Amino acid sequence: MPGMLKIIFGNLFKKRATRLYPFEKRAPFENARGSMDFAHMENCIFCNLCAKNCPPKAITVDRANKRNALDPLRCIQCGVCAEACPKKVIEMRGQYNEPCYAKRTHVAAQVVKCAQTPPEQK
Amino acid sequence: MGIVEKSRLKSPWILHYDCSSCNGCDIEILACLTPYYDIERFGILSKGNPKHSDVLLVTGGVNHRNKTVLKNLYDQMPAPKVVIAIGACGSTGGIFHNCYNILGGADKIVPVDVYVPGCPPRPEAIIDGVVKALDKLKHLQNGTWKEPETGPIVVETAVGAKPAPAAKYANAAPAPTLNSQPTNKEA
Amino acid sequence: MVKSTITFGPQHPVFPEPIQFILKVVDEKVVLAEPQIGYVHRGIEKAFELNDPKDNIFLAERICGICPAPHTTAYVRGVESLMGIEAPPRAKYIRTIMNELNRIHSHILWAGLLGDAIGFESYFMQTWNYREKVLDAIEKISGHRVTYAMNAIGGVRRDMTNEQLRGLEKTMDYVESSLENIEDVMKDYTIKKRTQGIGILTEEEARRDGAVGPTARASGISQDLRTSGYDAYGDLKFEPVVVNNCDSYGRFAVRWQELKQSIDLIRQCIVKMPSGEILTKSNNPMNGEAISRVEAPRGELFYYIKGNGSKKLERVKVRTPTFANIIPTVTMLSKGCQVADVSVIVLSMDPCISCTER
Repeated sequence: MPGMLKIIFGNLFKKRATRLYPFEKRAPFENARGSMDFAHMENCIFCNLCAKNCPPKAITVDRANKRNALDPLRCIQCGVCAEACPKKVIEMRGQYNEPCYAKRTHVAAQVVKCAQTPPEQK
Repeated sequence: MGIVEKSRLKSPWILHYDCSSCNGCDIEILACLTPYYDIERFGILSKGNPKHSDVLLVTGGVNHRNKTVLKNLYDQMPAPKVVIAIGACGSTGGIFHNCYNILGGADKIVPVDVYVPGCPPRPEAIIDGVVKALDKLKHLQNGTWKEPETGPIVVETAVGAKPAPAAKYANAAPAPTLNSQPTNKEA
Repeated sequence: MVKSTITFGPQHPVFPEPIQFILKVVDEKVVLAEPQIGYVHRGIEKAFELNDPKDNIFLAERICGICPAPHTTAYVRGVESLMGIEAPPRAKYIRTIMNELNRIHSHILWAGLLGDAIGFESYFMQTWNYREKVLDAIEKISGHRVTYAMNAIGGVRRDMTNEQLRGLEKTMDYVESSLENIEDVMKDYTIKKRTQGIGILTEEEARRDGAVGPTARASGISQDLRTSGYDAYGDLKFEPVVVNNCDSYGRFAVRWQELKQSIDLIRQCIVKMPSGEILTKSNNPMNGEAISRVEAPRGELFYYIKGNGSKKLERVKVRTPTFANIIPTVTMLSKGCQVADVSVIVLSMDPCISCTER
């Protein structure tokens, strides 16, 4: 092992290699595939292409009720849905999904609001 | 909380068992032990012996040959124990959902406390998962554990009225919405 | 002498994966080794027939989490030859870069695991520290650390920008200099004592048992599929690494030199990278049979793909390098090694159980 001694003593004076994870969070790389998100849900036309192309079949599209559901525990973050979406509703976020205590689906729904009362008017 | 309970939370020992996963999650668990993530900072040690361990990390979708091994390992672990299912396969079967030899997740065999999504999850997510599991263990010891909600998380997006773009660009055409069908004026 | 039986696994600290070895032991000497498999069998070959061929790329990627690039490359090359299309040259270069990055990370990983099995903890930590840099480079290119999802039928899904290529060059410089730091380990007394003369596989035995990859090349067989010139390998200059040690130390040396070779190949790819399209789209029917062979980090990877003109494939057969290397390993183990050396011998051929059982 004397071959390693140089490195071991060198490491004493070098910058530490450890990412102090829970205290210092690393920003995800550009274009990293962390978690999938229905980001621009207002544009969704419920064409079912994302659900059709999803390799693990984690997405279900309910056209009648205007709801898309994702099982985040089944999603493999391949990014195929984001490529297949014709309206660019789906985005791949760099941030990964949080661990969870129970299996919960993520539902993104379109809700028709009355046109006379716009929510943000200043 | 007595000293035993407290020290258990401060230094949980991990047992990792690969239930027919693709190795992706396993090397990420190993990567947690190496200098970049170094979970030994928190007193977490990876042990090969189930009787020494407090936390069981299960990767992979559990096949028919593995299920008895997993059950045995779980039964051998001493009483306050938590099980973490790592990755999409460990939680639901993931990409292997239609393989004939996959049962579809560790929770078919042993009770799972924390699910870590991702295929494979990053080491950061695995550390988060272990921290969450210890949080649960702490609450269980104090008797303050509340069962988590199981219903879907619904995010609603309003459509039909989109005043913001029209207000910003007064001359621009109103944004197309689902309710207002575009009409061909020339026809 | 009394023969006793020792079962090794399926859950064992040395193996990250479940495999059982039933060892018949006289004193400390192993006289017979029986591998018991089936703990990681998932039935992927059947699932290939049920899924859409596009989805199968992600399934092929998850046959093995350590070598996803060669698996997907082999699969898409097979499907492309069924369709009668070919990937554009830029896509071929990107595939080659991903394959070589995969080889670097896999060999460094293996070196660390060997250090761990020998009991050389600081070496394990040091190598895995360097490996993280390679994983970061992979994540910058493909978006994920372990599963790349780069290959598509007819090309690749993501292009590489010039910035990424320059960043990759820097990473290669870093990896090369850091590997030079720990090169002395090869001359180390303890490493030599634990590996030299352990797990001997002569050239005849390697040929008879059908060893592939570094295991074969360490026994003096010059066999490297990359010399057949698939993807961009035809344009690159390299010689297969062959060593005549025939033992665990030889396998260590082969992998060590292959690391340098891969760094060199990536540099050649960066210099010669052509411009142009990255994807050839096609809707040709998949009819007939095709085989595709790719050199994975562990050896020759073989895919047989049969299509019947319908939208789904009729049969996909995968033969992985570790499958070919099982019999040579049993030969090595059955020569009367000691129980303490079993883990070193098994690790010296770099087992990947999840590949083997699919």
